[in-house]
Amino acid sequence: MKNMTLWAVVIIVVFLGIFFALTSFYIVDQTQQAIVLRFGNIKSIRTEPGIYTKVPFVDNVEKFEKRLMIYDIPVERVITSDRRTILADTYAIWRIEDPQKFIETLRTVEVALTRIDDIVYSHARDVIGNYNFLEVLSTERPAILEEIKKRSSNSLKSFGIEVVEVRLKRTDLPKENTEAVYERMKSERYAMAAQLRAEGEKESQRMKAEADKQASIIVSEAEKEANIIRGTGEASAINIYSEAYSLDTDFYELQKITDIYKDSFKDSILVFPNDSPLLKYFYEVE
Amino acid sequence: MAEYEIFDPNDEFKNETKKGRGSGWWKNIIIVAIIVAIGIYMLTGVYQVGPSEVALVKTFGEYTSTTGPGIHFHLPVPFQSHVIVDVRTINKIEIGFRTTSDGRTPSYRSVNEEAEMITGDQNIISIEAVVQYKVNDPVAYAFNVIQGYDLVKSTAESVLREKVASSELEKVLTIERDKIAMETSQTIQEIMDSYNSGVQIENVYLQAVTPPAPVVPAFDDVNNARQDQQTFINEAQRYTNDVIPRAEGQAQRIINDAEAYAYQQVAKATGEAERFKALLEEYQNSEEVTKKRLILDSVQQMIENSKMQVISEKGDTLNFLNLSEIIGGEQQ
Repeated sequence: MKNMTLWAVVIIVVFLGIFFALTSFYIVDQTQQAIVLRFGNIKSIRTEPGIYTKVPFVDNVEKFEKRLMIYDIPVERVITSDRRTILADTYAIWRIEDPQKFIETLRTVEVALTRIDDIVYSHARDVIGNYNFLEVLSTERPAILEEIKKRSSNSLKSFGIEVVEVRLKRTDLPKENTEAVYERMKSERYAMAAQLRAEGEKESQRMKAEADKQASIIVSEAEKEANIIRGTGEASAINIYSEAYSLDTDFYELQKITDIYKDSFKDSILVFPNDSPLLKYFYEVE
Repeated sequence: MAEYEIFDPNDEFKNETKKGRGSGWWKNIIIVAIIVAIGIYMLTGVYQVGPSEVALVKTFGEYTSTTGPGIHFHLPVPFQSHVIVDVRTINKIEIGFRTTSDGRTPSYRSVNEEAEMITGDQNIISIEAVVQYKVNDPVAYAFNVIQGYDLVKSTAESVLREKVASSELEKVLTIERDKIAMETSQTIQEIMDSYNSGVQIENVYLQAVTPPAPVVPAFDDVNNARQDQQTFINEAQRYTNDVIPRAEGQAQRIINDAEAYAYQQVAKATGEAERFKALLEEYQNSEEVTKKRLILDSVQQMIENSKMQVISEKGDTLNFLNLSEIIGGEQQ
C-alpha cells in the first residue's frame, strides 16, 4: 500500500508538472504572432518565433497569422466615368501588421475580412468612377490599382492591417453588354467578309476587263499590221504592173482587151451582124 | 508495431499473476504503460521526406534547419516540429479550362467566364492558358505566404488579363501570342518576388486563343470570304489565261492571212508582168501579125466559149428572140 501511495504521488506530480508547463509556456510559430492578454489587457506582443513564459491561468494568449493572406473580394458592379458598368473582380493581399490594433478593433480574421471587403470595394468604386472604360481596361490600370491600394491601406491602417496589394483579377462586362459586344464583333466580321468578297469580285472584274482589253488590243494591232501588209503587197503589185505595162501602153491595152474577150463571154449568146468583119470571108466564099 | 511487441509480454505477465505470484503486478503494468507512452510520444519526432520534398524543422516554432528526403528524427512535440514543402514538382495552374480526367486520353472542360477577356479594342477573346511554377525557396514559401496556389492563380489571371487588355484582338489572335505569354510570365515572377513568396514561374503557355464561341461563325465567314476572294481572282486568272492566247492566235491568223494576201498580190503582179514582158518581146518582133493574131485568137476563144452564136441579118432581128426560152430550154 505504501508503494501505491508513492506511485500515486509521483503520477500526480508528473501530471502537475506537465500541466504547469503547458500553461506557463507558449510557443509562437514562425508563421504566427501572439498577444498575451491579462484580464483583457494587452500585456505583451510577440512577433518573433520561439518559446515564451506566461503566468498560468491569468494570462491568455491569442495568436494571429503573420503570413500574407489573399482575400478574394466578390465580384462587384462598378460604374466608370463614361457611365459604363463593369464587373470588377478584385482581390487583396493583406497581412496583420499590428496585432495590438487588430485585436483592439477586429478581434478575428472573419471580422477583418468583412471590413476589408467594405473598404476595398468602396475605394474601388470611387477610384474606378474617376476613369473611363478604356482607361480602366488597359492604359490606367496600374495607376488605378495603386490608388485603390493606397486608399485601402490608409483606411485599414487603423485596424492594424497592411494592404500589400489590390489587383483586378477580371474586368468583365455585364451579360447584356457582352451580348452587345458579340453582336458588334459579328457585324464587324460580316462586314469584313462582305468587303473581302466584293474586293475579290472587283479584282476579278478588273482582271477580266484587262484581259478583254488586252485581247482587243492584240487583235486590232494585228489587223492594223495586216492592213499595212496588204497595202504594201498591193502597192508592190501596182508598181510591178505599172513598171511592166509602161513598156508599151498600146500593147497592154491590146493584151488586156484580148484577155477580156477571151474570158468575158462565157456561156453567152453572141450575135454577129451580117456585116461583121469576122464574117467578111464568109460571103467571099459564096 | 512497437507498441504491440511491448504489449505481448504484458499479456504473458498477466497470466503469470493469475497463477498466483500475487503482489507487484500493478507496478509492472504502470512501468510498461509509461514506457509505451514515452515510445508513442517519441514517435511524434519521426518524419519521412519524399524524394521531391524538403522538410523545414522548427525548434519552438522557429525555423532552424532544412532536411532532405529520407526518414528523419527530431525532438518530439512540443520541442520541434516540421513542415514539408514540395520543391521539385512542377505545379500547374489552368486558366480558362479544367482537366476533368487525366491519364492516357485526358479530357478538358472549358470555363468560359474565366477564359473570356476583353482586349484593348474592346473585343472579347477566349484564352486558355497554363502556368507552370515550382517552389524555389521553401523557407520563403512556407513562412511568408499562405494559400500559395491561390496566390499564383489570382496573380496569373490578373496579369494575363492586363496584358490582353493592352493589345488588340487581331494581334492577340496572331502575332502577339508569344509576346503575351512571355510578358505574363515575367510580370507574374516580378509580383511573386515582391511578395517574397519563394515561387518560381517556369512557363506560361497560351493554349487555345480563339474568338468567343458565339462569334466563331462570323470569324469563319471571314476566312471563307478570303477563300472566296481568292476563288474570284483565280477564276479571273483562268479567264485571262484563256482569252489572251486565243487573241494572240487570232492575231497571228490575221497577220498570216494578210501576208499571204500580199504575197499573192505581188506574185500575181510579178507573174502577169513577166508574161506581159514576154509577150511584148514577141509582139515587138512582128508587131502587125502578132496584133492580128492576138485579136483573132481572142475572138476565136470568145466564140468557142460562148453558148450560142447567132448571125443576124439586121441589127433588130434579135428583138424577137425569147432569151429566157432559149436558156431555159437548154436547162431542161
